[in-house]
Amino acid sequence: MIAGDGDAVGVLATIWKWAPLIGRGFLLNILISVLAMAMGTVAGLALGLGQIAPYAVLRRPAQIVTQFFRNAPWLVLLFYCILLLPYQMTVGDWTVPMPAWIKATIGLALPVMGNVSEIVRGGIQALPQAQWDSAESLAFSRRQTLWMVILPQAIKPMLPPWMNLYAVLIMATPLASIVGVEEAMTLTRFALSAENRSELLLPMYLALLVAFFAYCYPIARWTARLERRFAVKH
Amino acid sequence: MTGVWDWFLWLYEAHGINLPVFYDSYDRQRFFAGLLTTLELSVCSVVASVAIGLVGAWALGSGSVVARRLVQGYVHAFRNTPPLIQLSFLYFAVGNLLPRLEMAGGGSRPLLDGFAWAVVTLSLFGGAFNVEIFRSGIEAVPASTVEAAEALGFNRWRLHRHVVLPLALRICLPALSNNLVNLVKTSTLAYAIGVPELLYVSAQVWADAMNVREMMNVLLVTYVGMVGLLSFGLRRLEAALRVPGLGTVGGQP
Amino acid sequence: MPVRLASFASALAAAAVALLLTVATAVAAVDDIKAIQAKGVLVVGVKADYRPWGFIDPSGAIVGMEIDMAREIADKLGVRLEMVPVTTANRIEFLRQGRIDLILATMSDTPARRQASTVIDPPYYAGGTNILARKSLNFQRWQELRGRRVCALQGAYYNRPVAENWGAIIVAFPGVPEAMIDLLAGNCDAFVQDSSLIASTLVSDPVKWADYEMPMETFGEQAWVMAVSAANREGSFARFLAHLSQDWHRSGHLIALEKKWGIPPSPFLKSMHDKL
Repeated sequence: MIAGDGDAVGVLATIWKWAPLIGRGFLLNILISVLAMAMGTVAGLALGLGQIAPYAVLRRPAQIVTQFFRNAPWLVLLFYCILLLPYQMTVGDWTVPMPAWIKATIGLALPVMGNVSEIVRGGIQALPQAQWDSAESLAFSRRQTLWMVILPQAIKPMLPPWMNLYAVLIMATPLASIVGVEEAMTLTRFALSAENRSELLLPMYLALLVAFFAYCYPIARWTARLERRFAVKH
Repeated sequence: MTGVWDWFLWLYEAHGINLPVFYDSYDRQRFFAGLLTTLELSVCSVVASVAIGLVGAWALGSGSVVARRLVQGYVHAFRNTPPLIQLSFLYFAVGNLLPRLEMAGGGSRPLLDGFAWAVVTLSLFGGAFNVEIFRSGIEAVPASTVEAAEALGFNRWRLHRHVVLPLALRICLPALSNNLVNLVKTSTLAYAIGVPELLYVSAQVWADAMNVREMMNVLLVTYVGMVGLLSFGLRRLEAALRVPGLGTVGGQP
Repeated sequence: MPVRLASFASALAAAAVALLLTVATAVAAVDDIKAIQAKGVLVVGVKADYRPWGFIDPSGAIVGMEIDMAREIADKLGVRLEMVPVTTANRIEFLRQGRIDLILATMSDTPARRQASTVIDPPYYAGGTNILARKSLNFQRWQELRGRRVCALQGAYYNRPVAENWGAIIVAFPGVPEAMIDLLAGNCDAFVQDSSLIASTLVSDPVKWADYEMPMETFGEQAWVMAVSAANREGSFARFLAHLSQDWHRSGHLIALEKKWGIPPSPFLKSMHDKL
């Protein structure tokens, strides 16, 4: 199979030719995931605290918003943001351009927000009521109790589900290819289109899967380790 | 019924809110066909992924090292790669390597069509998570309960059938519900390989009618309603099956 | 709701819409070229998966016949060119939002698109709808597509007529590469597409496509058009593009570009050249 060997070399050479470009695309996947995680975490923390607020006017809307963004499919939220957000925003004298990848980041941050909100609520409610009661007996205000007693304890058990969420997020970033963001999956499709050879399909998609695995697997291992360490002994 | 559909026509003419999926019979038909496809896709994937989870968890608990390694390899591979790329890889690349069915009228058909590949991918993706969920559920069954059953003379099969699995299922139900709900949401990915599910038909409608805004909102409301119903049902199931004194793992209360 | 009240309400709404439109057109008669020059950049929505009109090379640069045209427009305006890859399903929405100034992305002229954007006349290219299919299937008439799996592109205007009139089962993909892969694998019996794309695909790699043909009678000859925002119907940019398109036809520039990118000569370009 001399011809076959020649083909194999040809395929590898082709992948090598496109690797720098697709690699740059992969960096955009990572950038999108990190930004969406940051935005979603901040918004989700606020929403989660809203969910345990003592006032129903705050609690009910926070619960509804949380459930809405947890129940909506990621891809649909992505389409929504890509197609319906404006291409630039004007804040005072500033005009902030909103390229597709920023809109995709916002689109991905929304479900992250809903899920972080639920993690925060679950983490805080998992703490024994006695923590609140004893802080109250020490004359801590509700806000002091929350920031100085409850959150510091709740954060550790929240960490593994939060990291799991990040893994789900990074694996959702290729969805941006469907809405035209030039990340790794889009560039792989463009490369396949430019090369126009079907024998490239298997190796190119496989290479992309391996790249994601190499990034996600260490995170998953680390998460599992933390999970074991923070596990509540029954 | 016609009156209701006509009301949407009036809504368009009077207020410019264009919802052809309600007043145009062709669009209405394809929209509801898409909804049906999404439901079928979800049901098939949920059932298959639970089966995969059960078999995988059983293999992890069996003595065979080979079986354990294989299942672990599968779980890691599918949990740590993006489902969209799995779908493209399986449909476009692996699908081309499979044998084909020759058609009577000329041409040939793939062994599995887009819908079948979507079910396969979603089941494998969801199943990888289910394996872990069932394993942790089985491990969380108190050792004392198992010992008590063994002392009563239960053999391995009856022990699993009547004691371990019923308890394990209750323990891991919250995590399982979460994963199944995710799976239904992930079914939108079938869009990428041309399966005419809800997102796909909606995109066709908004491309023809140029009504992205309206269609997007219809789509969101439909999905949130559907997924909300499912999670409501699963929560009711959890409540109905709850055994006093038995905790849960994963998922939130 | 009583019928009379409903019709009164709709009349009122219609009047309001008409008023709004008048205002919009009045406002729109601005010099939008000035605005683009002030920005210093022309943002063009192009295809990046539609060889040879728009596709990428390994450096990531988008190249192709339409890209050459876009570059020339930007050069003539004296601004930088920025290209945004678009798909058939999202290009009009991007134009509406203002994310792009111009669509130059294999877009066929349809009434709905004329309403949603400002279409530039004369068109720069034309093609009808046809299919790319395996010769062995021996297709001759569109009616034979009944019950056949036919690959297509998401958002293409001819998907609906092909499904509605001839009963084909349309399987639409987000981009050309996926549809081509599916066709080559034999998952689809045909790929319904613009006849120009099919013709250029067939000559691009005669060996690979040796078993394929474009068998049907091309229907619905549609012009390919550039389009700018609907709000700028009377704007200077639309006028400028119309003149430029005419010049391109008259000077034979489009025919030269077509040749440069290896596209089979189209009768449309020849007739436009002779006419002008």
